[in-house]
Amino acid sequence: MNKSPSSFALPASGVLLASLVLPGLAALATFAPLTASAETAPEQTTVSVKYGNYQDSQANWDRVKVNAAQVYVQAPIAGEWSIEASGVSDNVSGATPYAHTQKSGASSGGKTGMSDERHAGDVKITRYLPRAAVSASLAYSTEHDYTSTAVGLDARWSTDDNNRTWTVGYGTSHDTIDNTYSGGSISGKHKNTQEFMGGVTQVLTPTDIAQFNLTRSIGSGYYNDPYKLYENRPDQRNAWIGLVRWNHYVGAFDASIRTSYRHYSDSFGVSSHTAGVEWVQPTGRWTFTPGVRYYSQSAANFYFDPVLNAQGQYDLSGTVQHFITLRGNTSADQRLAAFGALTLSMKASYAFTPSLVADVKYERYRQSAALHLGGAGSPGLDAFNANFMQVGLTYRF
Amino acid sequence: MKKIIFSVLAITTLSWLGGCSNLGQVNAWEKGNLAKPMMTFESDPLDQRFVQHVYSSKENSSGGYGVGGGGCGCN
Repeated sequence: MNKSPSSFALPASGVLLASLVLPGLAALATFAPLTASAETAPEQTTVSVKYGNYQDSQANWDRVKVNAAQVYVQAPIAGEWSIEASGVSDNVSGATPYAHTQKSGASSGGKTGMSDERHAGDVKITRYLPRAAVSASLAYSTEHDYTSTAVGLDARWSTDDNNRTWTVGYGTSHDTIDNTYSGGSISGKHKNTQEFMGGVTQVLTPTDIAQFNLTRSIGSGYYNDPYKLYENRPDQRNAWIGLVRWNHYVGAFDASIRTSYRHYSDSFGVSSHTAGVEWVQPTGRWTFTPGVRYYSQSAANFYFDPVLNAQGQYDLSGTVQHFITLRGNTSADQRLAAFGALTLSMKASYAFTPSLVADVKYERYRQSAALHLGGAGSPGLDAFNANFMQVGLTYRF
Repeated sequence: MKKIIFSVLAITTLSWLGGCSNLGQVNAWEKGNLAKPMMTFESDPLDQRFVQHVYSSKENSSGGYGVGGGGCGCN
């Protein structure tokens, strides 16, 4: 970690993609009840495959590219059980900034910084009871510098009139970070996270259904990004996450509007707002779903801004000198800065038959300090854009 | 700013709910539209896993949706 920025190899490491993802509870992929009616075992087997592509860039620099192939299977067992399993294999290539939005030496010549593969899978077993269901899940993933194991348990039960469903869940994950394989110096680092979740889904009217979930996440261990400079993050991160979702059926158009709001706050000092709206419009065999998502976060209390010169450009030596004066926890990771982001999306699905449905989705994402809620965010950061595309096929039998 | 946002949301929500005299008292035969696929909260698990994984890789916040796979096993 004592190399100069110009010689620093900056692969888009697995850690970058893995360190912020959800622990155990998330393995329960559809663990929140879909509706407020009592759950019953599925009557059909569902098989889905999906291919996803992601590419982000900032000014004059294509950063990270991801290609991901996914498969999902859900099958009933003996009428009162079901099993769900999914797998993903993805390839990540490119490079990310070594600090703030500064281009690494490894990619400044237009060459990619690295290419890495990740393989992951999870399985969930659900037992259906009268007006209730309980699930257990196990997830595992591995890549060259990061492995993760997670387990989860949850239970859901409905009121007699099926207008309300309560949910409780617990999940835990154990992650190991080791980048010595690729020449790094981080070995045997661990991160453990526990999550507790409670929620309620409520039918409000014949055309409205709402959901509220509250999650408490408690984590400890290694939170640094070993591929960035200036990293000295706290060894603990606890978070509160509140989520409200509200779906409304619009009879005049035989359509629905799906809304969501999430508030996130953690011990790094970051708080964020995430709001989303989708319009779901079936038309014959087609279903079109345009959507918009807005996100805004405050900076972590140990994030430090870059030093800019008189022309407003990044001053590397000044930034280094400023960093040397800092005490305690530090980070120059762009993702811990204050910024906002906007996503526009469009999904189209086509039902060849009631059992065979194809879909394609495109999303355009822009992240910048100027989009920060309530005024400009952190200074000295380049905006970046991303395109993601998904193509999928689902078959039920 | 936070208080303003929460206040606006609360007032909007309460105003909406105020017009519903039978809030939460919906009979089984009135749920036909609620049962349509378009009214589900997570209609496409793989789609949500991919998208949430992207967001959790590019933003500080993650979680709360109950989707995304376990540990690194999301996409």
